[in-house]
Amino acid sequence: MNPSRILIADDDSTIRRFLVTLLADRGYEIHEAPDGEQAYRMAGEVKPDLMLLDLIMPFKDGFDVLQELKAQDTTAHIPIIIMSVKDREEEIVKGFDLGAEDYVVKPFNSLELISRVKKILDRSRS
Amino acid sequence: MQTTSELLAQALWGLGGVLAFLFVFLISNKAIRELRERRAAALRRELEPKILAYVNGQGNHLGPILGPLGHFESSVVEEILLDNARFLKGAARSRITSACEDLGFVRARISQLRHPRWWKRAEAAEKLATMKSPKAAPELIALMRDEMPDVRMRAARALGQLDTRTSIKPLIDALQDPSRWSSLRIADILAGMGPSAADELSESFNTLPIKARVAAVDCLGRAKSVRAGGLLLRLLSDPDRDIRARAAHSLGLIGDPNFTPDLLKALKDPEWPVRAMTAKALGKLARPEAVRPLAEALRDKEWWVRINAAEGLKSMGEEGLAALIDALSSEDRYARHAAVATLEGAGVLDRFVEQLASADEKERETALLFIRKIIAAERTDSLTQSASRHAQEKVRELLSRALKPSEVKP
Repeated sequence: MNPSRILIADDDSTIRRFLVTLLADRGYEIHEAPDGEQAYRMAGEVKPDLMLLDLIMPFKDGFDVLQELKAQDTTAHIPIIIMSVKDREEEIVKGFDLGAEDYVVKPFNSLELISRVKKILDRSRS
Repeated sequence: MQTTSELLAQALWGLGGVLAFLFVFLISNKAIRELRERRAAALRRELEPKILAYVNGQGNHLGPILGPLGHFESSVVEEILLDNARFLKGAARSRITSACEDLGFVRARISQLRHPRWWKRAEAAEKLATMKSPKAAPELIALMRDEMPDVRMRAARALGQLDTRTSIKPLIDALQDPSRWSSLRIADILAGMGPSAADELSESFNTLPIKARVAAVDCLGRAKSVRAGGLLLRLLSDPDRDIRARAAHSLGLIGDPNFTPDLLKALKDPEWPVRAMTAKALGKLARPEAVRPLAEALRDKEWWVRINAAEGLKSMGEEGLAALIDALSSEDRYARHAAVATLEGAGVLDRFVEQLASADEKERETALLFIRKIIAAERTDSLTQSASRHAQEKVRELLSRALKPSEVKP
């Protein structure tokens, strides 16, 4: 079976490198995007099985990326986990309203994140 | 004897020499810095995968994984660990703290706390805050007596990060000394430490000076300490109005519905700041028994109380919105204005304006009835704007007709 593809969109290269190590070690195929524009473009090209999406990014913010991906037939099905330092109720609700599958507040627990990733990927496979 | 031109030539040579020396110094300095950065980046690329594997659960100690480290390597390892500590919590975060202790970074930074230069001491406190090692607590507590206010505050912030019981007491002591500490900033640190800090703060409350008490009451609310509820309820009868007002606010932040009866009494407090904060708190608790008293508070003579009461009603769902719509027909002009402003903010007015375009005549009538109440309440700015700018001609026409003076039926 092919490994699940995960697209990590975050402008912080330290966080990206951490997530790449964390998830690649568990056998996932990882792709990285350092800004919102590239995240949107790569989601269309790579067709990931899951996307980890930061909210505060240059060129296009995470909410815009999420909204545009959910509006496209070809990318609407991609499950998206928002990962953000924004922890206000309105922001979390907005994320879910726009179609995010889950919302993880930074700082995050890496073991919890793996469980969430695994659960979402298992669900979309079944 | 030298001529003037010879002296000038010598001076120019001297100046040229100094400039040449400066040029060489700056260039070599820049080259050394760039080389250092390049070496650090290469080292980072080499060490980071091993460090991240450890942080993510491989091995018990980072030291044996990395092998012996020189001074330069140690500084790169510390930087990688602290960079990753920024966005992690849980087991991975604890492993970073353990690595900082094992590799001697905590010990080195503790030594740096005694550095003669103040910014070096401040830097050390900052790093220890990120390392989160409880081993640094005694030295950070001692640093709270530093002569430099900036160093003292960083020590306090670092103690707040340690989250140990030993670090709570000195912070509460700092709260008792407003001449050396900002009560608000210390309360902010204590609030971030959660319920254990709130418990100790509740116990020491009576020993605090009045200004610090106000900050402490805020801190108890922000820490959402349900156990502080008893103290805060008693403070609703404190002789100081600021304490009563902040206690009401904190009770709202904690959000226990059992606070409702006491807050309903506080809504009749003779001092308006207490009534205003109480109205806000009741809005947060959103209990149905508070709807009527809040609707009455819309007639309060103080603007702040009326607005908070209206906002409170808005947060109470349909029942609260119904009370606000009722208040549009109130004899009290202030109550009507507060109700209109809040209904506008809640998007209710826009909803009814849109309803004017409905094909259903009954729906249109309901919308018109509501809009006439708004007009009778004498706050028509938003409606006037919609009457001239709305996308649908039918809506513009109905609104313009309703806004004509002869059409207003209170």
